[in-house]
Amino acid sequence: MFEAISNNPYRSLRAPRVDLRRLRPALPALIFLFVFMVVPLSSLLLLSVTKPEIGLGNYISLLGDATYGRVLLNTFTIAAIVTLVTLIIAYPVAWLLAILPSRVSQIFFAIILLSMWTNLLARTYGWMVLLQRTGVINRMLMEIGLIHQPLPLINNLVGVTIGMTYIMLPYVILPLHATISGIDPAIMQAAAITGAKPRQIFWHVMLPLSLPGIGAGCMMVFVMALGYYVTPALLGGTANMMLAEMIAQQVQSLLNWGLGSAAAFILLAVTLIFYAIYVRAIGLGRVR
Amino acid sequence: MLLNLNRMGPGRYVLYAIGVLTALFLLLPVVFIAALSFGSSQWLQFPPPGWTLKWYAAIFNDPRWMDSIWTSVKVAFTVMVLSIVLGLPAAFALVRGKFPGRTVLHAFFISPMIVPVIILAIALYAFVLKFGLNGTFIAFVAAHLIIALPFSVICIVNSLEGFDESTEKAAIVCGATKAEAIFRVTLPAIRLGIFSAALFSFLASWDEVVLGIFMASPILQTLPVKMWTTLRQDLTPVIASVSTLLIALTIVIMIITAFLRRRYAR
Repeated sequence: MFEAISNNPYRSLRAPRVDLRRLRPALPALIFLFVFMVVPLSSLLLLSVTKPEIGLGNYISLLGDATYGRVLLNTFTIAAIVTLVTLIIAYPVAWLLAILPSRVSQIFFAIILLSMWTNLLARTYGWMVLLQRTGVINRMLMEIGLIHQPLPLINNLVGVTIGMTYIMLPYVILPLHATISGIDPAIMQAAAITGAKPRQIFWHVMLPLSLPGIGAGCMMVFVMALGYYVTPALLGGTANMMLAEMIAQQVQSLLNWGLGSAAAFILLAVTLIFYAIYVRAIGLGRVR
Repeated sequence: MLLNLNRMGPGRYVLYAIGVLTALFLLLPVVFIAALSFGSSQWLQFPPPGWTLKWYAAIFNDPRWMDSIWTSVKVAFTVMVLSIVLGLPAAFALVRGKFPGRTVLHAFFISPMIVPVIILAIALYAFVLKFGLNGTFIAFVAAHLIIALPFSVICIVNSLEGFDESTEKAAIVCGATKAEAIFRVTLPAIRLGIFSAALFSFLASWDEVVLGIFMASPILQTLPVKMWTTLRQDLTPVIASVSTLLIALTIVIMIITAFLRRRYAR
């Protein structure tokens, strides 16, 4: 695989110029991705404008029809709610982790990793059992007398929000922790010395300085949530179906390839737009 | 003062409380499933009326569960090997190549992480249906490899960027061939990156649900697909025991990586 550069051992010692031969080691991976990703995605795009008939009919009915419009709206609403809830929980946690002694924060990081690395279906199963009508949470709430009827916690917005927030939390806590740890405490001391109250320091110094982390985490969660399939399919209800679930349903059960693939490309376009904003704001170098 | 616990005043107790609650929230389903898997109640009563290992026995006595585990292992191992075989040379090209469009190529290799997996899944589904590959081992490997490759490229590129190429050139000047220099100098130096690439590739394949759902047939299923189809029917405690085994595996992997990180930490 390195024969291109091994013909002449001194070649690589010369000043490097534009040299396409150095691209050669990347070819196997490139060909693989081309055959198994670019070709299938392109044929899917073709399906979306040819089935059942040639034209933009699928896109028009997706964007014009009230039922599909609802699915789009649901997708954005749920992604936004999950992002917001995740941020509200993650900020204080990231803050706490930045100031705790590392012996203690290490334990917390281990818990985050454990939850993040546990199989997605295992975690979702856990929430399905916990949240069901006869589940522990409902039973506990009834026992302490807070409620008399079991609350509907699953197959609705509540279930999706809990399940997805659970999955997304690490993706906001980790970048936020990095940003908050990077804030120079001297800046806040300066604010304090010049007479700012803690509340003012938080709103006018700390929060603005942690905006890069907030932006990175939120954008990541929002984009991931837009295309999420498994958790909404298991914890959500038919009333708040999301785009990914609709795509799967169109293709798998209704064999409606045209509409399904058109929906897929709407999702892809939206994802790429938000991703472009993310890269523009943060810079490609800092992505991952 | 907002970044110093001792001088933060009573506000820190609010932070403590949120921290503890979040830790409990993160642990809740994991611990709950593990406890439930040993409970004797078919209806997932909690606390369980008694303790049993029968849900574990149910996995090991059911050839469908065992087959799906075996399929997952085979697919994940193949994906792991191929992901290094394709990702390692690609990373060399990305780090050392001086050709136009290198950043574009980098972005292309990472793009499977950005494209929502459901879109990849249905695109591949149409593709394998066309070639009659649905439900085959090849279909699973190809699908999982797409999402494993970015992990491999990222891990190896990162460690290769931290490696000074002049060390390799020094070996060549001292008489090693280019291949010797790479295999005996460069690769050993970036072994931690290759190891993480292999680990993440394996895990990406091992945990993949969505691609699996569309690649599977009733005859050939990976473990996550088997869990998915079972979950859609009922919440049997067998899933709890499968999940607990997976959690145990996660903990083992976490301990191994923590150990390796400590050992190789510079």
